[in-house]
Amino acid sequence: MRRVAITGFGVVSPIGVGREAFWDALEEGQSGIGPITRFDCSTFDVQLAGEVKEPLELPETVARVAAEDPKVGFAYAACAAALTGAGIERLGPGTLLHLGVSLEIFNLEKAVCNGKPDFKTIAERSLSGVEGPLQIPLDTGASLICDSFGRPDRALTNCSACAAGAQAIGHGFRSIRAGLCEAAVCGGFDSMINPLGVGGFQLLGALTTDNARGPSACRPFDAARSGAVLGEGAAVFVLEPLEKAVAEGKQVLAEVCGYGSTLDAYSLSAPDPDGDGAARSMMAALEDAAIGPDAIAHINAHGTGTRLNDEIEAAAVRRVFAGVWEHIPVSATKSVTGHLIAAAGAVEVGACLLPLVRGLMPPNPSLDRVAQGCELAHVMGKAAPFEGEYALSNSFGFGGQNATLVLRKFDGRN
Amino acid sequence: MVTSLGATAAATCEAWRAGCVARRRTLEELAGTNLKHAEVAGMPEFDAAERLGGRRMIKYMSEAALLGCVAAHEACEDARIRERFPPERIGLFAATGLASASLKDLLPMIRESVGEDGRFSCRLFGKRSLAATNPLLSFKILANMPPCIASMIEGIKGPNLIFTPWEGQTAAALLEAWRAVATGEVDCALAGAADNAAHPATVVYLKQSGLLADGEYPSAGAAYLVMEPAATARQNARHIYAQIAAMDTRPSNGTTYNPLALRMGRSFAAAPAILLALACRSLDAPDGLAGILPVRLCGVDRQEFRAEVGPVANPCRIEETA
Repeated sequence: MRRVAITGFGVVSPIGVGREAFWDALEEGQSGIGPITRFDCSTFDVQLAGEVKEPLELPETVARVAAEDPKVGFAYAACAAALTGAGIERLGPGTLLHLGVSLEIFNLEKAVCNGKPDFKTIAERSLSGVEGPLQIPLDTGASLICDSFGRPDRALTNCSACAAGAQAIGHGFRSIRAGLCEAAVCGGFDSMINPLGVGGFQLLGALTTDNARGPSACRPFDAARSGAVLGEGAAVFVLEPLEKAVAEGKQVLAEVCGYGSTLDAYSLSAPDPDGDGAARSMMAALEDAAIGPDAIAHINAHGTGTRLNDEIEAAAVRRVFAGVWEHIPVSATKSVTGHLIAAAGAVEVGACLLPLVRGLMPPNPSLDRVAQGCELAHVMGKAAPFEGEYALSNSFGFGGQNATLVLRKFDGRN
Repeated sequence: MVTSLGATAAATCEAWRAGCVARRRTLEELAGTNLKHAEVAGMPEFDAAERLGGRRMIKYMSEAALLGCVAAHEACEDARIRERFPPERIGLFAATGLASASLKDLLPMIRESVGEDGRFSCRLFGKRSLAATNPLLSFKILANMPPCIASMIEGIKGPNLIFTPWEGQTAAALLEAWRAVATGEVDCALAGAADNAAHPATVVYLKQSGLLADGEYPSAGAAYLVMEPAATARQNARHIYAQIAAMDTRPSNGTTYNPLALRMGRSFAAAPAILLALACRSLDAPDGLAGILPVRLCGVDRQEFRAEVGPVANPCRIEETA
């Protein structure tokens, strides 16, 4: 089986656009969470999110769609940066594009005509071209990327909620490893920062309403945690066979060496209280990487800041890493980025590259007092030096989908 | 399987064999618009609670989820997977179509947020609409929910992938399921898709985007298949419908091609799964199903799907058992 290298990484996030800016902010524990500015949320209980503030350079065709559906612009910009980083100009035969995304945008303003929600008028306006299309399908991001960069053998759109980005990377990794393709461009993109997105999650009780806390409102594993904060953005990676990348003199950011995915089959909105699905996902990734739990030197937790997730995840980590968990530092980068839903897994693989490339593990700056049941070797206060070889990233989704990736440091000698 | 021709796999096969064509209907929601004459396939009536063995989770389901869960349940029961495989060793590889939230769910919520100026007001949405909205709405609109609900009903806990929204994505799901069984990643895979392309908003989108050729009409539909190694099926004395000898997806520059379209309507994401399931059953039937083989379909995402299915011959090959 072939080893798999990460040769390109592009990121658009609430804490920075571009990998260096993203890593700088993570290292500093700089939060991208603040008041929602995308729409008037003054009557919503939830008023915070991690928004992408920087303008993106986009071709006109992409910018037009992104004006209505910002996540499409994030996908394009992250993909363009990843391809540039890997020195790839075009997608074509032998390549795979696989991106995760969660939910079509619903433009509620469009839904009101003549003072009422009038589907017939909306349909007429849409058909006559007065308004744009009624729907922006979830494969629009991938389609626009193909239009600009060429058509891969397969262009896939994964909709596995919060596990989508990690699943896309895992599938890309397996495809390269098995020799099914020579380059996999994979990751996730998302934005739920719109009235229906924020409102929907508010109704589910998944988001914090502790708006006064501002940038530190997302508090994974903290005793005062009260829910997640939505974020937005994208992260895209280029994966190639390690041997080929080295032979071509490409910079190898890290190796992907293990992937696991499982289902809870428990509840739509709540994780299995036993953490069985999460634990099996981690164990499957370790087995896939052919390493034992003691080889892992850093974990980037799913860590949403919700009561249920954090306690269950911490218990699952302690079970999988029994006997060694006290020595494995855990970061929870949603504390600064917010929860990027389908992009979360991909952005957090990007966060795992910080220790593997710069040798520093990102802190969880909002963690003041570890909650009972959430005991792990948390990276608190400031970034900590990374000493080891392997890092693990968890993504657990609504609907009970779990995905875990194992990355390995590459220094040219191993 | 649930299609415009029948509410079960057997009923669909029988209707296809008999040369039936889906009955069509216009959509009340589009009356008075330019699409007042646009037709969609009508669906057969069925009792979802009876088919699923209870009402559990039905309140969470969109129309597409309902179709998908019923089709998945039929396949799982037929292959008796729950009794034969540990849940962790069963994979789920699925696809879903375009978002199709019920207008009945959405319109009252939007109505509450119309301001005095007659326009949508975010402030009123936050103040009144959310309070009047059923929290379950989120579960009806998240794209991964139809297969995830099926995983809960069937108790499937293994590796999984869910794609969206067109035919090529379902083809990818079927291919990944086949590979997962072939490589031993799973002991058994549930693979398929559901789509509600007859939703009024989707019909508008399809017409507006030119995705329906002359004479074509959208349809809802769902189909799931159970794949497992031949040896296991034989060992367990299970009925084997067909052997899948090869499967592939590849980019195509050709026009879309769907052998089901004229008789069943275009069910987009569901179509490759329906076609493959019919192909497997075609081999099982004494006189076959005309026009189903060879399995070849090209969707709007320009991915051509091909599968070679044949009668059971080589016991090393993977076979579709439900």
